Amino acid sequence: MKNPMMIGLGSGAAALLLMTGIVVSRVKAAETRLKEPDKAQEAVAVADHAEEAYCTPAFKTVLQRVLNACGLVGQESRRGCQPGDVKTFASIDDDDFNALFTPLVKRGGIVMFDEGKEDIDDGARRLVEQKWGDRKGARYFFIVARASKTGSVDKNRSLSHRRANSVQYFLKEKTNDPDLDSQVGMLWLGSEFAQLGKDYCETWENSRPGQKCDTETVNRSAFVSWVDCRL
Amino acid sequence: MSNERTRPAPAALLAIAGSLLGLAFGAVSTTDFAAHLDRKVHGVTCSFVPGLLSSEGGANACATALYSPYSSLFRRAIWGGVPIAVFALGAFAFFLGMGVWLLRQEETSIPRSVRLSYGALGLTPALVSILMFTISMTKLGAVCKVCSGIYVASFLVAASAALVLKNALEEAPSGPPVLMAGATLAALLGGMTFLPAGVYAASVPDFGTYVGGCGKLEKGEEKHGALLHLPTATPKKKALMFVDPLCPTCKAFHEQLSSEGIFDRLDPTVSLFPLDGSCNWMIDAERPVHPGACVVARAVICGEGSQESRAILEWAYEHQPELTAAGKESPAKVKEIIASRFAKVSSCIDDAKTERRLHQMLQFAVENHIRVSTPQFYLDGQRLCDEDSDLGLSYALRRLAPEVLP
Repeated sequence: MKNPMMIGLGSGAAALLLMTGIVVSRVKAAETRLKEPDKAQEAVAVADHAEEAYCTPAFKTVLQRVLNACGLVGQESRRGCQPGDVKTFASIDDDDFNALFTPLVKRGGIVMFDEGKEDIDDGARRLVEQKWGDRKGARYFFIVARASKTGSVDKNRSLSHRRANSVQYFLKEKTNDPDLDSQVGMLWLGSEFAQLGKDYCETWENSRPGQKCDTETVNRSAFVSWVDCRL
Repeated sequence: MSNERTRPAPAALLAIAGSLLGLAFGAVSTTDFAAHLDRKVHGVTCSFVPGLLSSEGGANACATALYSPYSSLFRRAIWGGVPIAVFALGAFAFFLGMGVWLLRQEETSIPRSVRLSYGALGLTPALVSILMFTISMTKLGAVCKVCSGIYVASFLVAASAALVLKNALEEAPSGPPVLMAGATLAALLGGMTFLPAGVYAASVPDFGTYVGGCGKLEKGEEKHGALLHLPTATPKKKALMFVDPLCPTCKAFHEQLSSEGIFDRLDPTVSLFPLDGSCNWMIDAERPVHPGACVVARAVICGEGSQESRAILEWAYEHQPELTAAGKESPAKVKEIIASRFAKVSSCIDDAKTERRLHQMLQFAVENHIRVSTPQFYLDGQRLCDEDSDLGLSYALRRLAPEVLP
């Protein structure tokens, strides 16, 4: 090929063909990769509730049993657990049960009640509202109600049940949250299981600061707290 | 036309050098662009040595240019569009051929009309380069090295064309009519320019089945009314966005939506999702992805009262480097910067109600099991795939919500 114009045309055509070939090969290579699953995408984390260090296997086992047995998981009509239930499903003694909640000392609070009463006062309302509002990444809110040793076992069982209900009713009224039932776990322990010691008066925030607090009064109560565990 | 040259002419050498350079940089740019057709993240080459250095996944001026709406044409019809660089390949192949012709034949023995036409056509790559350079400077604020390589190549070809043009203009008119020669060469240039582009367009896989295949919002409503509604000019379609004010990808996405006139046609609701462990329990507090983002997110929430949420969010996007640097120092420093610009919101940033509202937004993300990444964009509850949020945006929106495209 001696004609300079034809040589020029040939050079241009060759370059064009080469470039077009590169384009096609790159596109086809991408198409091949497109059909392969993207492992990096599959590994991306999904938004979930908080999981704090205190969520030990033992703690989560007890909570899971509470959730299963007390109506938060599934569609059971019954709500809450009685002392007998707790003893049975938790398979745990009083001290160990209370110790599980110790890490919640900065998260939870103790709502105090008058003797033989389940009415919540202004201080209790403030405390419950404050604790409820401080949800952060938690999934479940627990109400663990108790009664002091004063009175019969049956009466105290019933009284602690009413105290737990009082807190829950207040929350329902205050928040008007349709999902409340699926977030709140209730236990009422009466006076027969996991009574609180006097040390709880000093270490835990309660709804009657500055007032008399001893082993009797601290158990006329409902412990409230969000729990930052994935269950 | 057989008067063969014995000594190479400068015009020929300039054309050949420019074309080879243009082909090399054009091929690198096209290859980088085409790699993204697999809908995965890739490094973008950004070097004056074509193809030798690559920035794996990191941000650079070449990546900014590639992901910008100015890197390709026909984006609504073809996923990602046809890269501008692929047009350059055909054009430089044409000028390579012209350069070889000039190299092999005495310039004066080439018909004057052909040389005049070459002189005029040879300036076109430089004109396109000037246009692209202007866009780079005014719209992107950066010039990529690969693009610069193409600009230099264009000017070498233009210099060759100018030399040939000058010589031809000094001669008396002769040979075939200029119009005929010009039309023939222009047709050849056009054909060669569009051939690789046409082949590219025809080879691109069908992405129709991928668009909209990334799930739906499980719970569309946040029951506490915590989400933020942002005002826009002509809202036509409900959109929900999970964004982090200090996330560069969110900024790029917002800028793309804004520059393409899409954002003002959305009816957007924002759920803030700062990737900062000081408020977001899904992020390790010791290793926040965007330190300071929680403070900025709260400021955006606080702006609602004075209808400044959108302004604060856009301001935060604009000042991301400054705010991120401050976030690494302390949240107080971030607050100080915000307060210097938006004094009204400073008292509200640390309010418990504001913090609670931010947590409600994060809980909303949990309820919807969204991925811990930002941004995430939903149109009427339909999630826009991450892969469709940059190069494939126009293509995806044409299928999911054509009414938001101007």
